[in-house]
Amino acid sequence: MTRRFRATPYLFLFPAVALIGVFVVYPIVAVIYYSFTDYDIVRPPVWIGLGNYAKVFADKTFWLALTHSVIYLVVTPILITLSIGLAIVVNRKLRGITIYRALYFVPAVSGSIAIGLSWRFLFDRTGFINSILQSLGIIHEPIQWLATPSLVLPIAMLLTIWAGIGYYSVIFLAGLQNIPEELYDAARIDGCNDLQKHWHVSLPGLRPQIVFVGVISSLAALKVFDEIYVLTNKTGGILDSGVTMVFYLWRQAFQLQHAGYAAAIAIVLLALTLVFSMVNVRLLERQDADR
Amino acid sequence: MKLKRTLTMALATSLLFVACNSAASPSPSSAPPSTPPASTAPASAGTSSAPASVAPSALPVDPAEAVIPNVEANAEITFWTFYLSPTFDQYIKDTIARFEGTYPGVKVTWADHQATFQDDLKNAFAAGNAPDVINLSVSEGWVSDYATKNLLLNLDDKVPQAVKDIYFPGLWKEQLVDGKNYQFPWYQGLNIELINKRLFEKAGLDPANFPKTIDGIPDLCKTLKEKASTVCDIRLTVNDLISQMVYEGNVKPISDDGKTFTFDSPEAVAWLQTYVDMVKAGTVDNTALTTTDDRTGLLLFSAGQAPFYATGPNLIRDVKANNAQLYADLATAPAPLGKSNVTGKGLMSISVKADTKFPNASMALAQFFTNPRSMVAFAKQVSIYPSSPEAFKDPFFSSAPAAIEDSARPLAGGIIATYADIVPTIPKKADVNQIVLKAIESALFGDNPVPAQQALTDAVKQANELIK
Repeated sequence: MTRRFRATPYLFLFPAVALIGVFVVYPIVAVIYYSFTDYDIVRPPVWIGLGNYAKVFADKTFWLALTHSVIYLVVTPILITLSIGLAIVVNRKLRGITIYRALYFVPAVSGSIAIGLSWRFLFDRTGFINSILQSLGIIHEPIQWLATPSLVLPIAMLLTIWAGIGYYSVIFLAGLQNIPEELYDAARIDGCNDLQKHWHVSLPGLRPQIVFVGVISSLAALKVFDEIYVLTNKTGGILDSGVTMVFYLWRQAFQLQHAGYAAAIAIVLLALTLVFSMVNVRLLERQDADR
Repeated sequence: MKLKRTLTMALATSLLFVACNSAASPSPSSAPPSTPPASTAPASAGTSSAPASVAPSALPVDPAEAVIPNVEANAEITFWTFYLSPTFDQYIKDTIARFEGTYPGVKVTWADHQATFQDDLKNAFAAGNAPDVINLSVSEGWVSDYATKNLLLNLDDKVPQAVKDIYFPGLWKEQLVDGKNYQFPWYQGLNIELINKRLFEKAGLDPANFPKTIDGIPDLCKTLKEKASTVCDIRLTVNDLISQMVYEGNVKPISDDGKTFTFDSPEAVAWLQTYVDMVKAGTVDNTALTTTDDRTGLLLFSAGQAPFYATGPNLIRDVKANNAQLYADLATAPAPLGKSNVTGKGLMSISVKADTKFPNASMALAQFFTNPRSMVAFAKQVSIYPSSPEAFKDPFFSSAPAAIEDSARPLAGGIIATYADIVPTIPKKADVNQIVLKAIESALFGDNPVPAQQALTDAVKQANELIK
């Protein structure tokens, strides 16, 4: 018995495969190739073997950027905690609650550049925060927030948290609304107060959402760029105080025209994000097994 | 549900609108305070209005303007400008029409690129479809960046001597790479200080006594801080720090043979120490000091927050558009001279790509836009200045200025005649600049700033490693 070749399924598959090939596979292969070359974007690349990788691991700024990206992961537990808290607050039948929910979600649907610019204006020497502090007599001279190296990264992290809370709280809100009301009734009968009720019922019920948000927000934190780009006005901050992995990659590729070196950094970043993705898969598998 | 959706959409739309407007602001190139500050292209895209009165720019065809010989028949060439649309669309189109009438058979396709100009151009070179004729900034070092990669046409042995003589000699040689010229000098800026008279009066200062040299700036800033509770809005040219060192500090950055960096000399240390002392005294805005965007300073000044700002007269219209009260309180002064005693270097130029199919037609277009007739017509529309002595003979330049933005016009020819590029070719310039930037930041900021001498000596060592 011979199997007949059928072209129709392949024809249906072709557009999707072609798109993925052109916009996903080809760029990844190209980046891998460029990472072994000396390439300045305008002239043809020159093969240099592992030269870029050797340079990456000896580059102090790369390690600084990696450290900053790892520090940035602190936003993940803060985001989860605050988002759950906010979801619990807005998961009530209060008058006008839908307006509050919409308002909290506004940062999620706003452009990151717009948000970054707004925050830059807030923290300017002549910005809103200094004006408030001065008018309250707390400070006499304006603080140069974004020109103080130790403050750049915390301000960027604060921005990420502020912008992310609304989005993640919607995910937790959906999770909360799926928890059967009977469980809360049982907890109440067992003598739980409000805090205990959420500790023993809401948090276990939100476990899938916590895993999901933990993974996607940590991946987003590792790849942070927009906040740094806008807040530091493309400089990465004084003394590279806000330089993260993706920002450093961008600077190498587009400011210094070391596209080959930037490609090597991208591959290292890819390896790191793959580790996070594997953790994600493992956690989800364990979760399925527990059910 | 409807209310929620509507509210969300309205807020999101308004935020996006704000973002789009902000992003549309020019992302200008900049020049060191002692070099031409009018580094922003004259177009006012995004942030301000067009010049108050746009003079008609259509001139009749004059065969005498055809000065480049052997222009290829039926040549089709492309031309990219930087930040000139939409304000100067009519001028550009009229000039192209006149060019096509002067060199019959040549067709020009024009495109204006703005914030993404550099990215677009690099991508176009990489893709093999770069424009034949390109508007490049001299003050930002773009000509040398592309010329050192052999992407631009060397004009020295292709342009007739009589044509070279049209331009100010200092401008024709303003960005030589290994002694060769790759650009036709285009519009120029003048270096002036815009002064907020109100803040100066508050500090008991007279704008007429603005320092003539940069040595006077630290004391001026100290007085302004003590008496007017404001800090100075001074900017390091973070994209081209070596150039700033040369003009302001008379620093010799590299040995004569171009093989060893020397920017840790006593002159360089003294130059850096001036800034270190100002930061330590808290008399400068640290954010503006190290920003890559010279609009940061202009915005602060336009908001009435900065006592003075180094720029070109063409940007006074931004102040006028954004803060009419400040415009009424505005004074100007010549920008202080650095220790090099050179007033500055050129601003914008037009180059031809090295592998164009139509080199003569491309050179003809570049020359046509930069010739005296075209330049005078351009200068009548906005406060920019021509690159040739002949253009300044036009009565327009000797007429009495009506507004403060034109106040430098009668003096412009004399000032521009002294412009010169005194910065030698710097190998691996972008990387070296990054090393210098980090060295300067380490001396200026942080809990334990590095002494200026040590910071620069370490930077020289790193930079020398790069060019070994």
